[in-house]
Order: sequence, then structure tokens, then C-alpha cells
Amino acid sequence: MPAAIRKTVPHVILLAYVAVILIPFVIVVFSSLKESNAEVAAHPLGFPKELFFDNYVKAWKQAKINVYFFNSLYISLSASVAGVLLAAATAFALTRMKFARTSKWIYQFVLIGMLIPGNVLFISQYILIKDLHLLDSPWALLLPYTAGAIPFSVLLISAFMRSVPAELEEAAIVDGLSSPGLFFRIILPLTLPALVTVFIINYLGNWNEYLLSNFFISTDRLKTLPTGMVGFRDAYQTNYPLICTGIVFSVLPVLVLYAFLQQKIIEGLTAGSVKG
Amino acid sequence: MKNTMKNPAVYWAFVLPSLALYFLFFIYTLLTSVGYGFTDWNALEPARYTGLANFRQAFADSDFWVAVKNNLYFILFSVFLQVPLILFFSLLISGVKRLQGLYKTTVFMPSILSTSIIGILWGFLYHPNDGLFNKVLELFGAEPIMWLGDTKWAMVSILITNAWQWMGFYIVLILAAIISLPKEINEAAAIDGASGFQRAARITVPLIMPIISVVIMLSIAGAMRVVDIVLVMTNGGPAGATEVMASYMVNQGTRYGEYGYAMALSILIFAIALLLTALYQITFARKIERIDY
Repeated sequence: MPAAIRKTVPHVILLAYVAVILIPFVIVVFSSLKESNAEVAAHPLGFPKELFFDNYVKAWKQAKINVYFFNSLYISLSASVAGVLLAAATAFALTRMKFARTSKWIYQFVLIGMLIPGNVLFISQYILIKDLHLLDSPWALLLPYTAGAIPFSVLLISAFMRSVPAELEEAAIVDGLSSPGLFFRIILPLTLPALVTVFIINYLGNWNEYLLSNFFISTDRLKTLPTGMVGFRDAYQTNYPLICTGIVFSVLPVLVLYAFLQQKIIEGLTAGSVKG
Repeated sequence: MKNTMKNPAVYWAFVLPSLALYFLFFIYTLLTSVGYGFTDWNALEPARYTGLANFRQAFADSDFWVAVKNNLYFILFSVFLQVPLILFFSLLISGVKRLQGLYKTTVFMPSILSTSIIGILWGFLYHPNDGLFNKVLELFGAEPIMWLGDTKWAMVSILITNAWQWMGFYIVLILAAIISLPKEINEAAAIDGASGFQRAARITVPLIMPIISVVIMLSIAGAMRVVDIVLVMTNGGPAGATEVMASYMVNQGTRYGEYGYAMALSILIFAIALLLTALYQITFARKIERIDY
């Protein structure tokens, strides 16, 4: 008996923790399917009386969640793809091409970026974007998102590229490949796992970013999900089901991604924070 | 034959685009922060050099000190409440065989979500009339609490939400370290009759001290950076009770147009972050290294 108890107690505690994580989501999903505030308020954790899907239609079209959603999607995608490609090209030049001394300096220079805590540069980036006359355009996010990912991405991809055996490179060059050819046809495919990791980290970071998108974008139809949703909350404060529907729309794509790529995401994000 | 790897045109074509972006958004902005930090500037008229006036103003600015104090609460809450809990949960998860994957995946999940969405979600749970928390209090016949509207509770409410979002991330970090420890040590101790608690306290925890130290460092860094959750949940209110350094800086710039002052604040934030990191490294991290066999 004591042995059985000793085995169950950890599970009881851990399942309680899992419940604490999941209950807010359960409430949101249930509430999004309820018809009215009264039904939400009566039993926050109660199953909806009947599944009321109208909120989803209403939030998507009428409340313009679809606009925020696609803005988030294309801005996050393009900034992360651009960031990974730029960083990979730089990492390739720094680690594989024969400019050792210059490369060392450039590498150290890029590392400075890792020391600067997020948002410290917020005000001067705001001024920069303003001076470039890019405020309130997609570029106001695309440029800083792409740039923001560079130090970390160069660092991680460089570490990976250093481990590609030199023989492979020599053989490819003997066979007549130029250095760009080597980069695109040999090194990029070989380092794909690292590129995917970096892409995922950047993509999640961009998809979730709030500070810049809140202050660099003011036109409603250019807003991304995190900021659009805050405006949405303020506008529909008194309509709980609709707010919860909005939350479902913003969280679902990330959770679907997580369901398929959890191992990769967990590895990438934790490796990203500890950075070797 | 190897000339193609020495082609400067290709080299610079590969390096310059990232370098230019990096320079513009990191180095140039850092320099402008430092430059304008010593001026009075509203971004409309030309900046006026004022020497250390902004920094003097910051040291005399009681609102800014409230913000500093709130960042300190974030640090204390993460280091003294979250880290022990994180350690406790990771030890528990590492000890179970069944469902380990489920626990790991679930507790990690909130840390991949947008802080602003989590702020909205928890704002809903904290709702004064219809939120879950006050419903539960009502069940026990207790008075409802204005979680985000009461200066006494607002900060705690944000700290709880923040812990809910980030604890799982650190649990997974520590869990990975525990799982990678050689099993023999623990097995030998078990044979020698050490209880589960003794093994955790005397063997596992000392062995993973380096990663615990990393988690403390990351928590401090995270606590210094915190801003989204405050802007979304309370925007610094009620009456500045939840203002943090970064939100104060952002508001000084974007709301009041005090760009010179805001940039001086950003330099101060950077300096405080460096100072804390150095202080932690000197006082604790080094000691930990020494214990670490």
C-alpha cells in the first residue's frame, strides 16, 4: 500500500498542475461556443448548452480577425524566412570562406547584439522607423523582425556550419561548384535541421510579438493578431463569447504547430535561451 | 582551385545585407540612444544638449522608482517562489515513468503563446464580476476582489499570470538536465538506502546546480525585460501600481513625447541589467561553480 501511494502522489500533484494550465483554455473554448454573457457568467466551466458556432463566423469576418490573422501570418513568415536566409548566408561566409581575420571581427561584432536586452532599443528603433518614413506600413515590422533575429541566428547557424566536414566542400569545389553553388546546393541542405530550428524560434517570436507592432502600426487593417486582439478586447469588452472566440483564433495555429513539432519547438526554444 | 572560397565579391554579398540590417537596428540605435539620452528632445524640435539632466531627473523621479521596485518584485517572485517550485515540479516529473511526455508538453505549452493573448485570457479570468476567480470566491462566500483594479492585488495578479506562462519553460530546461544525469549515481544511493527525498536533495540538486544557476540568470533577465504583460493587462495602472521600467520608458516616449528622457531611461535599464548580471555572477554563480565538484 505505501508503495502504491508513493507512486500516486506525484501524479496527483502533477495532474493538478496540468489542470491549472488547461482550465483557462477549457473556459475559453467553452465560452466561445456559448450564446451570451449570461451563459458564460452563470457557469464559466460549464459545457455550453448548445454549440453556438456563430461567434466564429462573426469574429472572423465582422470583427476582422481574418485580417489580423493574415497580417500576422505573412509578416511572421516573410521576416523569419528572410532572417534565416540572410543569417545562413552570413554564417556560411564567416565560417567556410577564407577570410579568417575579417570573419572573426564581424562575428564578435554581431555577438554584441546578444548582450543588449530586448526592448532597450525600442525608443530609438521607433525613431529610426519614423525617420525612414515607414511607420504604419508592414515594413515597420518586417525590417526590425528580420534584423532582430540576426545575431542569434548567425550564432546558432555558424555553430552548425562549422561542423560540416571540409572534405565535402573540397570535393564539391573540385567538381566545379562555385562558392554560391556550394552554399545553395550542399551547405543549405546539410544544415536544414538547424535552419528549421532557427526558423521556428523566429517565427514564434514574430507571431507573438506585441511591443513593436502595437506602437509602429496604427491603421487597424495593418495590425497583427497580438495587437489586433487587444483592440478587439477593448471594443467588445462586454461580449465574452466573442472575445474568447478571438483568443481561440489566435492560439489555435500555434497549438496545431506545437502538436506536430513539439519536440523540435521545445529543443529549439530551450537551446535558444541557453545558447550553448 | 580554392579561389572561389576567396572571392571577396561573394563574401561581401553574403555578409553585407545582414550586417547592414544588424548595424542599423542594433548598433546605430544603441548609439542614438546614448546620444539622445543626454538631450532634451521631443522628436519635433532639434534636440538640446542637457548633459546629465535626464539622469538626474530619473533619480529624482519617484514614478520611475516605483517601476524599478516593481521589476524588483518580479525578480524576487521568480527567484524565491518560482525557482523552488520549478525545481520541485521538475524533480517530480523526472521521477515518474508514466505520462512524463504529457506533463512535459503541457507545462511547456503556455510559453509558446503570445504574452498579449495570455494577458487578455487572464484578464478574463480576473474579471471583477464574471471571472473564474471571483466565481470561486463567491462559492466560498468571500467578497469579490478587484484583481487588476486594486492597487493591493494588481501586481500579484500579474506576477501569477507571468509565472503561469513561464514556469513550464524552466521546468523543461531543468528536467532535461536531470534526465541526462548518469543513472548509476542515484541507483547506488538507493541501494545504500537513501530515500527519494535524500537522493533529490543530496545528489540530484547539487549535480544540476549549474543549470539552476542558468535558470536564475534567465529569470532575472526575463524580469528586467518584462513589458508586454503589463501593457496589455493594466497599462501600468491602477495609479502606476504595476508600472515596470520598460513600460514606463515606453510611455514616456510614445505617450508624452519625452524622447530624450525615454532614451536616458533605456540606458539606465541597460545599465541596471548589466549590473545585476555582474552582481549575480560575482556573488552566487561563482560559488555554485565551486560546489560543482
